[in-house]
Amino acid sequence: MSKGRLIDVSKCTACRGCQVACKGWNELPAEHTTQTGTYENPPELSGSTWIKVEFRERPGEWLFRAHTCMHCNEASCEKVCPTGAISHNGEIVIIDQDWCIGCGYCVQACPFHVPHKDEEGEGTARKCRMCIDRVTNGMAPACATTCPSGAIQFGERDELISMGKNRVDTLRAKGYNDANLYGETEMGGLQTLYVLTHPPADFGLPEDPALATNTTWAHWVSGAVTAGIVAAIPFWLLFKRKQRIESNIGGGA
Amino acid sequence: MAWAPPIWFYLWLAGMAGGGYFAAFLIEQYTKATDNKLLRLATYLGIPMAIIGVLLLIIDLGAPLRFWHLFTQFNLATPMSAGTWILLLWVIIAVVLVMIWWLANKMPGRVDGLLKLAGILKPVNVVLSVLLVAYTGVLLSVSNQPMWSSTILLPALFVASAVSTGVALLIITSIASNAISRGNLVELRMTMNTLYGSSDWTIPEKVIEKLAEMDVVVIVIELLTLIGYAIWLAVSSMSGAGDALGLLTTGVLAAPFWVGVVLLALLIPLGLEITNWGKDVATKSVSRAIIASSVCVVLGGLVLRAIITIGGQM
Repeated sequence: MSKGRLIDVSKCTACRGCQVACKGWNELPAEHTTQTGTYENPPELSGSTWIKVEFRERPGEWLFRAHTCMHCNEASCEKVCPTGAISHNGEIVIIDQDWCIGCGYCVQACPFHVPHKDEEGEGTARKCRMCIDRVTNGMAPACATTCPSGAIQFGERDELISMGKNRVDTLRAKGYNDANLYGETEMGGLQTLYVLTHPPADFGLPEDPALATNTTWAHWVSGAVTAGIVAAIPFWLLFKRKQRIESNIGGGA
Repeated sequence: MAWAPPIWFYLWLAGMAGGGYFAAFLIEQYTKATDNKLLRLATYLGIPMAIIGVLLLIIDLGAPLRFWHLFTQFNLATPMSAGTWILLLWVIIAVVLVMIWWLANKMPGRVDGLLKLAGILKPVNVVLSVLLVAYTGVLLSVSNQPMWSSTILLPALFVASAVSTGVALLIITSIASNAISRGNLVELRMTMNTLYGSSDWTIPEKVIEKLAEMDVVVIVIELLTLIGYAIWLAVSSMSGAGDALGLLTTGVLAAPFWVGVVLLALLIPLGLEITNWGKDVATKSVSRAIIASSVCVVLGGLVLRAIITIGGQM
């Protein structure tokens, strides 16, 4: 049994209580931002913003989605981390702040663009840790506790999945034909699940997220094969052939 | 952006260090040279470039003083850990080679055992050079940034570019060191004598000609790889791949892409070298054209690393 969150976008009112509660519990500083023509603020997750509500405006409707760490069972960030600072603590993916060197590889590897370097602070990579200090003491994460509309639920993942499926059925009956549950199988299963009213891409979620390290060997082979080509073709064109031509001329004379 | 300008310079310098060593070794094999003059030049250039590259990497870390945490892990599944060890080994072997060569010049006939060791280490560092230059591409392409990870041809492109820039740097420095040997800068000549442990360090014109010819072939391979990379991005079903290509060809990075990469790194050097193909490099006009072409290649290599590093994170 593992714990997780279910974020139901159809219930989100974009009050951003989760953003504030997260900052409060984790003692994260506020950020200076500028008005860019949207209610969405701050513009993206950062070393000191671990959850934020994304706003997508469409004709006649708003799409809101609280964006935060998915706590993937197969996590790209953990796989690429060169110092072993990122690890699973049970179902929660944690970045060890005393061991992270701030290389930024997890930032590039996450398919959801969640970890960020804390440029103003220690320089390490930081992200949501699902309030591990609260969860291990029998409490729900700050975001779920504060959410006034029940859009963020915390509980057993299995139960959340069946709740989510029921909700998807309800939404479909109400006319949201593309309603779906996101996260059941993605990246080996996500601990942050979503009930979505529209296809994942409409909410900025990848349809088929993949581990950055899935095809590592192919990339190495690509480099090595090119080195072989770069060694062989000049050799054949410039050295071997020329020698043969020269020796032929020598033989003929 | 998590990866800032120091990373562009690192990718460029490490590429030239590995690419130069790789090319020098091959040319010595192909021409059956036994004096290692070109390989020594490549090693002398490679060591400081690799070390400066490492310092740039450390500067770019969020917590630079913790860089040593990298050496507590040996995890080949993550490219950065693999690269850490490749880079370290490459530099150590290069330094050992320099020491052996220097001793061999100072004490001829008394270090035969060490020369045998050098005979083993030289090809080992060729393999490490290939891994080092491939690593600069693999580091980026093992990610979830469409410009880097949508195709497996980014490491191929970086390898071709690394060898091309490495060869170009060897051309520039070979012509420069030959000029030092002929010129009247006594101090500089003495320094070179000390560096090589003898006064025999000029690079034969024949070798420079071969370097120039090799660069033409490598640039053609690089051009084909770039075309392949672009086509792959265009047809990739991964979301964001098409946008990444647009960013390079028509978006905000279009100017540095067409001018800095296509013209500077590829077409201008190709034109200059083809028009001077087979001509005597001792001629001033020819050697000037070859130097100009090589400078373009080296600078174009930096532009390529810069726009790919920036573009992937946009």
